[in-house]
Amino acid sequence: MANAVSTDRLTKDFTAGFWRPRPHRGLDALTFDIPLGGVFGLLGPNGAGKSTTLKLLLNLLRPTSGRAEVFGLPPGDVRAHQRLGFLPENPTFYDHLSAHELVAYFAGLFGYPAADCRARATRVLDQVGLGADRDRPLRQYSKGMVQRVGIAQALVNDPELVIFDEPMSGLDPVGRREVRELILKLRDEGRTVLFSSHILSDAELLCSRVGILAKGKLVAAGSLTELTAGASRGWEVVAEGVTDVLAQRLRARVVRVTPISDQRYSFDLGGADRPEPFIAELAAAGAVLVSAAPLRTTLEDVFMERVQ
Amino acid sequence: MTGRTRALIVMMALAGVGAAAGVLHARESAYPLAPVAERLLYLRSGKTADRIMLDFDALAADIYWIRSIQSYGRDLKNRAQPDRFALVGPLLDLTTTLDPHFLIAYRFGSVFLSFEPPNGPGRADLAIQLLEKGLAADPTRWQLAYDLGFVHYFHTRNYAAAAEWFERAAALPNAPPYIGPLAAVTKAEGGNRQGARQMLRGLAVSEEDYIRRAAERSLQQLDALDAIDQLEALVQRFNEIHGRYPSGWQDLIADRALTGPPADGQNAPFVYDPATHRVALSPGSPLMPLPEMLRR
Amino acid sequence: MTGRRVGLVAWHVFKESVRDRVLYAIAAFAGLLVLGSVLIGQITAGQDLKIIKDLGLATIEIAGALMTIFIGVGLVSREIDRRSIFALLAKPLPRWEFIVGKYFGLVLTITVNLWAMAAALYLVLAWQDMTATEGARLSWPAPALDPRLLWAMVMITAEMALLTAVALFFSSFSSSALLSVAFTVGIFVAGLASTDLRHFNDIVQVHPAVGWLVGAIGWALPAFSEFDIKSQVVHGLPVAPGLIAAMVGYAAIYSAAAIAMSVVVFARREFK
Repeated sequence: MANAVSTDRLTKDFTAGFWRPRPHRGLDALTFDIPLGGVFGLLGPNGAGKSTTLKLLLNLLRPTSGRAEVFGLPPGDVRAHQRLGFLPENPTFYDHLSAHELVAYFAGLFGYPAADCRARATRVLDQVGLGADRDRPLRQYSKGMVQRVGIAQALVNDPELVIFDEPMSGLDPVGRREVRELILKLRDEGRTVLFSSHILSDAELLCSRVGILAKGKLVAAGSLTELTAGASRGWEVVAEGVTDVLAQRLRARVVRVTPISDQRYSFDLGGADRPEPFIAELAAAGAVLVSAAPLRTTLEDVFMERVQ
Repeated sequence: MTGRTRALIVMMALAGVGAAAGVLHARESAYPLAPVAERLLYLRSGKTADRIMLDFDALAADIYWIRSIQSYGRDLKNRAQPDRFALVGPLLDLTTTLDPHFLIAYRFGSVFLSFEPPNGPGRADLAIQLLEKGLAADPTRWQLAYDLGFVHYFHTRNYAAAAEWFERAAALPNAPPYIGPLAAVTKAEGGNRQGARQMLRGLAVSEEDYIRRAAERSLQQLDALDAIDQLEALVQRFNEIHGRYPSGWQDLIADRALTGPPADGQNAPFVYDPATHRVALSPGSPLMPLPEMLRR
Repeated sequence: MTGRRVGLVAWHVFKESVRDRVLYAIAAFAGLLVLGSVLIGQITAGQDLKIIKDLGLATIEIAGALMTIFIGVGLVSREIDRRSIFALLAKPLPRWEFIVGKYFGLVLTITVNLWAMAAALYLVLAWQDMTATEGARLSWPAPALDPRLLWAMVMITAEMALLTAVALFFSSFSSSALLSVAFTVGIFVAGLASTDLRHFNDIVQVHPAVGWLVGAIGWALPAFSEFDIKSQVVHGLPVAPGLIAAMVGYAAIYSAAAIAMSVVVFARREFK
């Protein structure tokens, strides 16, 4: 099969209320595919249905209608679970166990012999930087450490598909960078990574493809380049030595003029204009070019536009 | 798990419960567990029980009361038991020491204790002791004084004492109006069938099932005795008319003295003995045995 | 494969339960009661040995029931509340293996605890045996260190295995621990009255439909009362091996049925 994950009009209704149950549609006819290899980001504000989607893929929830497939198999099929790893959101494990005992336990559930389980546990715990603390009981762990244990247990079976639900939560900037690097490493190893997040900057750095959810609906999906359209929205030119007179004269030709400091201005050029003539004019007027950069549509722009 | 698998598993689970019940039933037949009769009371003294039960006297009293009833019921069924009913008295004593105001324990307890064998230990003395204990705790309870009169009337046949207790009961608050006349009748006539009948009618409206049924039975017995008197009178009349005693009911029926073979309130036919010319209840009648003091 | 996974889940239930403080509180209380039985023996007119055995076995049974109920009702619901179940169910572990593993793990825990308490009882009985006079010893209907007590322990263990299955069933569908405890205790108490319920018609005269219904309920309920051979054992009376085998078989069949129902319930559960 070509796809790691595929859904077809996947819908999930939740009933709220006891006396007159009102259905609340958590996910509405979600249809997308995740091909093997690459990093797929499932993005959206809180409550958009990201966790719901991931749980539907793992048979932790059952769909109201529609279908989902993991490796071409129905959700919950143990053959699929043998090949994937899952990090839940804000995970909790068994306090009385040490990290090593926990990961070895989970490894055992995949069927590896006991010695192999222990070796794998040691390896993945080293990989997430918990090698030194692996024999301490989990109840002594900080939130960030527990998150890392979660990542470790998701990797213990060398999974082809790794599913992370909010992998950055609870991590400090150092931790977040480490996770970003880990995800890229997993991608380089040929694995498929699916993660959900509401932090767009991480998605921009990591994902080859994204899906944006809002209120249960998929409002955008595709590769980053597709979504941000590639077209420049214009240019931002920063120059020094711009006199007030010059600034006034140029104001009419640009979208916006922003003074930065004494005689240093930032000029926003409109979308259609090339910057070269403008720069030439600045140079002719005696100003010095500091920088000229294209303004691209960011993922945030797409997000804000589609989500509102 | 598909719906069909689920349904299948549920059915198998239910079948499993059924199979288990089958095993249980088979085991009960094949290996019956003979109940070990708990003939042992760990605590004989009410005072010790009181101390041990701490704050839970009332609950302990309830438990001992239940044990009293169970002990009585079990021994009632078990006619071969050597020391039948031996535990009923001590259990009632424990019950009433732990809860001295436990009215039902006194009333029913005295009933159990005074029943003559085979229905009880026939210990009217223990019944009296129990009721007097109850009155000591609750001197204004007319029911206990009334029950004392009852026990004396029916079991110790001390009619003077019975009358005295009825009188005392009538004087207590809330006593029903029929007790006064009952005391008077008992005083005057004591042992007479009429007085007994009046008393029993009073009991036949009791709220307690046991007492009501016993009273109704006794009333039927009295009716049977009256019937026997009448039948014997008929026999004597026959002799006066024909110069000989009848050889059986047929003679009296042929003589139009009776319309058919007479039977008692439980439809057991009366027995006529041609040799002694006496009428009696059939030995198989449910009204047997008759209470002694009502026999002539 | 299945066996290995079930064994892993069971082993981890055992490891976790064995560290549960509730267990030790109950065991300590039971221990105190057994020791106290020695004192109680003094005030009951020379019945010391019987009291110790009676109280000892009853205490072990009640302690076992408390442990079973309080740990059993949390077996599944605690995992769900703590949300540790998400990572677990994402593994190649079929849901039914999860349930069966939980069952065997708790049964192992309870069995270990029951037999540890039995060992303690034997120690007390041994002390009693050593300090008893010859006259007292002659009056005993059964020896102090009677191996027959072990049969009573087998029955209690089977009884608790059945109670575990009941507690597990309620744990599988109820998220409220209090409700699960209430239901499990209710079934346990009703099951202790099973004999009376089943023979209802012999005892009370009611409308035949009512009698039949009560009787049916009596047969359907787990018959916890039928595991009681404590009196027989204490009095030194013989107990047929067939009886013990039949009751163990009963416990096995009924537990399997309850576990099957738990599996069905749990298979349908969703985790928000």
